[in-house]
Amino acid sequence: MTGLRADAAVALEIARKDARAELRGRQIAGSTLFFATLVLLLFGFALGPDARRLADAAPGLLWLAIVFGSLLTVARLHQLEAEDGALEELARYPIGRHAIYLGKLLAGFAAILVLGGVLLPVVGILYGIDLAPAWPALAATLVLGAIGLSAVGTFYAGVTVRMQAREVMLPLLMLPVVAPLLLATVKATSAALAGNPLGDLGAWQQLLLVFDVVMVTAGAVSYGHLLEE
Amino acid sequence: MTDVGFIIAGYGVILGGTALYVGLLLRRLAAARRVSLQIRHEAESAAPAAPDRQA
Amino acid sequence: MGTRVLGIVALLAVVAASVNALFLVPADVYQGDAQRIMYVHVPSAWLGYLSFGVTALAGIGYLWKRDLRLDAIAVSGAEIGVMFTAFAIWGGMMWGKPVWGVFWQWEDPRLTTTALLLALYLGYLLFRRLTDDPHRRAARAAVVGIVAAVDIPIVHFSVEWWRGLHQGPTFGSPDKLLHPAAPVLFVIALVGMVVAFTLAWVWLMIRRYGLARIEWQIEEHGRLGRISAARRAARTAVAPADGAPEGA
Repeated sequence: MTGLRADAAVALEIARKDARAELRGRQIAGSTLFFATLVLLLFGFALGPDARRLADAAPGLLWLAIVFGSLLTVARLHQLEAEDGALEELARYPIGRHAIYLGKLLAGFAAILVLGGVLLPVVGILYGIDLAPAWPALAATLVLGAIGLSAVGTFYAGVTVRMQAREVMLPLLMLPVVAPLLLATVKATSAALAGNPLGDLGAWQQLLLVFDVVMVTAGAVSYGHLLEE
Repeated sequence: MTDVGFIIAGYGVILGGTALYVGLLLRRLAAARRVSLQIRHEAESAAPAAPDRQA
Repeated sequence: MGTRVLGIVALLAVVAASVNALFLVPADVYQGDAQRIMYVHVPSAWLGYLSFGVTALAGIGYLWKRDLRLDAIAVSGAEIGVMFTAFAIWGGMMWGKPVWGVFWQWEDPRLTTTALLLALYLGYLLFRRLTDDPHRRAARAAVVGIVAAVDIPIVHFSVEWWRGLHQGPTFGSPDKLLHPAAPVLFVIALVGMVVAFTLAWVWLMIRRYGLARIEWQIEEHGRLGRISAARRAARTAVAPADGAPEGA
């Protein structure tokens, strides 16, 4: 029990430290937001100017932009540590390796949540969608999606952090794994926006929950093997 | 026989591709064995004078 | 020696099973001759799944025992699995065009799942190629392989739902071959091909494993060579009077 509490404290401390670093280096976090917004704008050019078509595609475009943005986010969170060897330093302390993973996951989760929180209204404005009536379902989907993206992303960022070709390898490894998450978040978002006419919103959110639980567990169990060197 | 083109494409790529992989695998094996043999020879011939070849 | 015999037997079996499937078995009443593609498509898909299963198990075994031989099995499974998975997709497309009318059927959960499977393990192979230290590579590849394997059922379910929740059933399912009502000759042709392909798979795995072992020895030698070269270079740097500088 005390071990669990200690792990939680370590994880929180790591997340807090990352959040502080993130806020200090605002321009990098800001550039991720800018990048994701730009992606949404370019999708508009690619599929517009037909407003109807854009509105239909909006959930997919929103989540693609969030996935691309989260790639940058998790990579940056690991890069901060790798550059000054802090990750090895952390691994040397007598703390659970999974606590390090959970801390990183938490930081990534918060960053992706902010990203999604900014992109949602942008999608509403750019593609002409009224988000207000669906916001509780949208928020729940965003939270579930952000957990899954951060779980997978943190794991693969840890896998690739030492590699020369990490900019290429991280998306190559991560994108196929998050495919079911993309599918489920897009379906849940469309269902929420349409007022859940088929009653499938809950099913997709459950699938997301399963994905989150499986990936967080797999990441926490295997992350330790990445630091062992 | 109908759809001959698709059947040829299907069997051709799958059986031909496997044969190609087998050929490449055997070539890679032969090359690796050659290098490994060479290493062993070098190690044997260098063994007596190993401590310092420049002396 | 035994492996050579196995290779010859596998080759003969594949040739015999192919001749049977192409020319001796009657064509399917509904799908016509295109259905003959199933006889190579199904064994390819089976071997793809089998290979990736072997890779995941060998990865778990490596993390447990830290034996590089298990890592050699893992890489063999991944490489051969990628090949057979690609063949399965190709065969499915060549069958799909004449029977379904399209190469790619988004509503078929198996096709989409298999495509993602291919992407997952192509990434795995690329990742291995770009990592140097053998033990680090083995451990990281093992966790990557395990997470990929964990992802497969989720992918399958999500795609299954995707179809199920949004439209009717697919038509002309490839399962027909194994249906209890399928003619005996069809079943024999398919089982014969699966056996022949699996024999070939065993031979491929043995050979690929052997290659991985030799490559590991060469890699190890290269590393030792670099270390001793660095040592020699350091020694000549300390005593430059010795004359000829070491190159490369």
